[in-house]
Amino acid sequence: MEINVIIGPVIALAALGIAFGVGLAIASAKLKVSRDPRLEEIIELLPGVNCGACGYSGCEAMAAALVKGEVDPSSCALIAPDAAKRAAEIAGTGLGQKTKKAAVVLCRAEGVADNFDYFGIGDCAAAALSQGGPTACRYACIGLGTCASVCPFDAITMGDDGLPKVDIDKCVACGKCVAACPRGIIILAPTNRYIHVLCSSRDKGALVRKLCKAGCIACKLCEKACKFDAIKVEDNIAKIDYEKCTLCGACVEACPRGIIRDIREEETRPTAAAAAAAEQVNSKE
Amino acid sequence: MNLSAYLAIIFGSIFVNNFVLARFLGLCPFVGVSKKTDEAVGMGMAVIFVMTLASAATWCIYHFVLLPGEQTGQNILSFVIGNRVSLVPILKNVSYILVIATLVQLVEIAMRKMSPGLYRALGIYLPLITTNCAVMGVALLNTTDAPRHFNFLEATVQGFSAGIGFLLAMLLMSAIRERLALSEVPESLRGLPVAFICAAMMALSFLGFAGILGTG
Amino acid sequence: MLKARLATCGFSSRQRKNGVPLREEFTKGIIRQNPVISLTPLGLCPTLAVTTSLKNGIAMGVATTAVLVSSNLIISIFKRLIPKEIRIPCYIVVIASFVTIVELTMQATLPPALNQQLGIFIPLIVVNCIILGRAEAFASKNTVAASFLDGLGAGLGFVLALALVSGIRELLGNGTLWGLAISGRYEPAATMIMAPGAFLVLGLLLGGYNLVRGRGAVSAAHAERIRPASRKPKGGEGVR
Repeated sequence: MEINVIIGPVIALAALGIAFGVGLAIASAKLKVSRDPRLEEIIELLPGVNCGACGYSGCEAMAAALVKGEVDPSSCALIAPDAAKRAAEIAGTGLGQKTKKAAVVLCRAEGVADNFDYFGIGDCAAAALSQGGPTACRYACIGLGTCASVCPFDAITMGDDGLPKVDIDKCVACGKCVAACPRGIIILAPTNRYIHVLCSSRDKGALVRKLCKAGCIACKLCEKACKFDAIKVEDNIAKIDYEKCTLCGACVEACPRGIIRDIREEETRPTAAAAAAAEQVNSKE
Repeated sequence: MNLSAYLAIIFGSIFVNNFVLARFLGLCPFVGVSKKTDEAVGMGMAVIFVMTLASAATWCIYHFVLLPGEQTGQNILSFVIGNRVSLVPILKNVSYILVIATLVQLVEIAMRKMSPGLYRALGIYLPLITTNCAVMGVALLNTTDAPRHFNFLEATVQGFSAGIGFLLAMLLMSAIRERLALSEVPESLRGLPVAFICAAMMALSFLGFAGILGTG
Repeated sequence: MLKARLATCGFSSRQRKNGVPLREEFTKGIIRQNPVISLTPLGLCPTLAVTTSLKNGIAMGVATTAVLVSSNLIISIFKRLIPKEIRIPCYIVVIASFVTIVELTMQATLPPALNQQLGIFIPLIVVNCIILGRAEAFASKNTVAASFLDGLGAGLGFVLALALVSGIRELLGNGTLWGLAISGRYEPAATMIMAPGAFLVLGLLLGGYNLVRGRGAVSAAHAERIRPASRKPKGGEGVR
C-alpha cells in the first residue's frame, strides 16, 4: 500500500482543518458583535414563542431591546410576572406600566351595497384581489373574516352585522390582524383611548353619503368641536391624535352621522339611522 | 470568454436542469420553507448567496488542493507528497463539506456584524442551508461530476444560476401553496402530499425545456 | 482524566434505556417512525432521485444504512469526548469519512452502470438529513448498543421506503421489477421514471400514510374559513 495515499490526505485534511479552525476563531473574535452576557439569561426567561406581540421580530430581538432599555419586560404578552421581574432586574431597567394596546377595526359599514356577487375563496385578501373587492365602498370591511382566522388568541370574531368584534381582554396587540386585513382598516390603539373614528373612507363626502350610512363625509364639525386640537380632517377622513385626545367626548356629540364613538359602548350605541334622524331633527331646529 | 457557453450554463441551471424540479436537490427546504411567499423569497436569496460562494470556494479547493500536480501544475501539496496521489476521491466529500460549513459560519458571523438588516432578512435560513444537498450538489457538479472542465468563472456562474433556479421553484411553489391552503383538499392529502403532487405538475411542465440545449 | 472519560463513554452494560427494551429501538425505525414516510419526511433527495429502479433504490438504501450505522456507532462511542460547541462539524466529518469509505467500496465492487445511475447521490449521503438528525438526536445521548440498533432500524426503514417508491416507479414506468419484465401487454408510462413520477408517487404515498394514520383532519376554524364565501349583508339594505 502506497504510504502517500495515507500521508497525503492526512496532511491535507489536517492543514485544511487547522486553517478553517483558526480562520473561524479569528473571525469570531474580530467580528464579534459584543453580545451582552445578560442576553442569554434574558432569552431564557422570555417565552421563546417568537410571536411578535411585543412588536419585535422574536424573543432574541426583544431581549436585545430590553438590555438597551428601549422596552420593558411587561411588553411581552406571554411572560409570567415573576419572570418579567427577574428579566427587568437582569436588564437593569425598572418595571414600567404596561400600555396595553388592542386592535380596533375602523369601519362600521351600514348599508354598503355589493359591487358584484363574489363566489370564491372565503378570504378577504382573495376577495380584495377581484376588481378591488366586492363592496361598493372601497375602504369598507369585506367581512369574510380573515382577521378572525389569523388571530392566534381568538380575540376577533365576526359579528352578525358582518363586521369583526374585538375582545379587548384577549387581544395582545400582536398585529397579525393588522397585517392580514387587505384594506388596512385595523389599527392598534391604547385601550385607555376608547374614542375612535369608525370609518376609513377617503372618498369625497358626496360619494360617501351615497355608499354608506355610517361613512365620514369630512364635514369638519368634529375638528371645530375639539378644544384640544386632537382631531383633524385630512384626506376626506377624520383622524384622532391619541396623544392629544383627552376623552372629553366633544367630537362624539358633534358628529352628525354618529361615526365617532366610544367603543366601550358598542352594544348600546344608536345606529347611524337613528343618528341621521337626530341630524334631521337638529337641522330642522 | 465564450458567451454562448455561459448562456448555456445559465439557462441550463435555471430551466433545463432546474436544481429542484429536475435534479432533485434541495428538496427539504423546498417543502419546508415554501408555505409563505416572503419566507420562500428569503430562503431563496440565502441559497443564491451561499451557492455562489460555495461554488467559488470548492472550485479553489478542487484545483489547488485536491488535483494531482500533473494535471494542473497547481497542487499545493505536490511539494510535500509528490505528484503521484490523486486526493480527489479520498478527500472530496470531507473537504467540500468542511469548506461549505466553514463558509456559512463565516458568512453568518460577518453578516451579523456588518449588515444586521441583511442578517434579519436571511440570517435565520443560513444554518438550514449548510447541510442542504443543493449546495453540496452544486459543488460536486462544478468539479468532480461536471460534464466538462469548468473554469472559475463558469463554476461560479453555474452556482449563481442554480440558486436562481431554486428561487424560481420556491416562488412558484409558495404561490401555489398559499392558494392551496385555502382550498378544499381531501383530508389525507392536505399539506405535504398535495404539495408534492403540485411539484409533480411543475416538474412535468419544466420537462418541456428538456432538449433545448441539445445534448447539454 | 482522559482515561476516566474513556471509561465512561458508551460501553454501558445496561440493556434498557428509560425502560425501553433495546429491541424497540430497532423496530421503531422501520414502520412507526419511518424516516421518510412520516409527518415530517427527511432524506427526500435520494428518495426521489435514485428510485428509478428497484435495484438502484435498494442499493442506495443499503449504502445509507451502512453510513448511518457506522456513524451512529462512532459518535456514540466518542460522545463524551466531543465538545458541545463544535459537535456538528465533528459529526459531519465522521459522516463524510464513512461516506467516502462506502463510496470507494461501491466503486470497487458494484457494476459501473449502477454507480453511474446513483451518480452524485452517494457523496450526497453526507448531507442526508436522516444521518445528521439521528446523530444529533440519538447517538449523542444514548448507549452504543441503542445507537447501533437505532441506526439499523432507521436504515431499514429507509430501505423499505426506497424499495416501495422505486418498486412502484419501475413497475409503472418500465414494466419491469428488478429488471424482470412483468407483463408483456402493459405499456409503460415513461413519466414515472422521470421527475414528475417521483413527486407523484411520493405525494400519494404520504397521502396514503395520512389516511392510514387518520391524520389530516383540519380544525373547525380552518374548515370554516375555507368554505366558499358567504358574506353577511352589511347591517342594512343596499343603498343605490
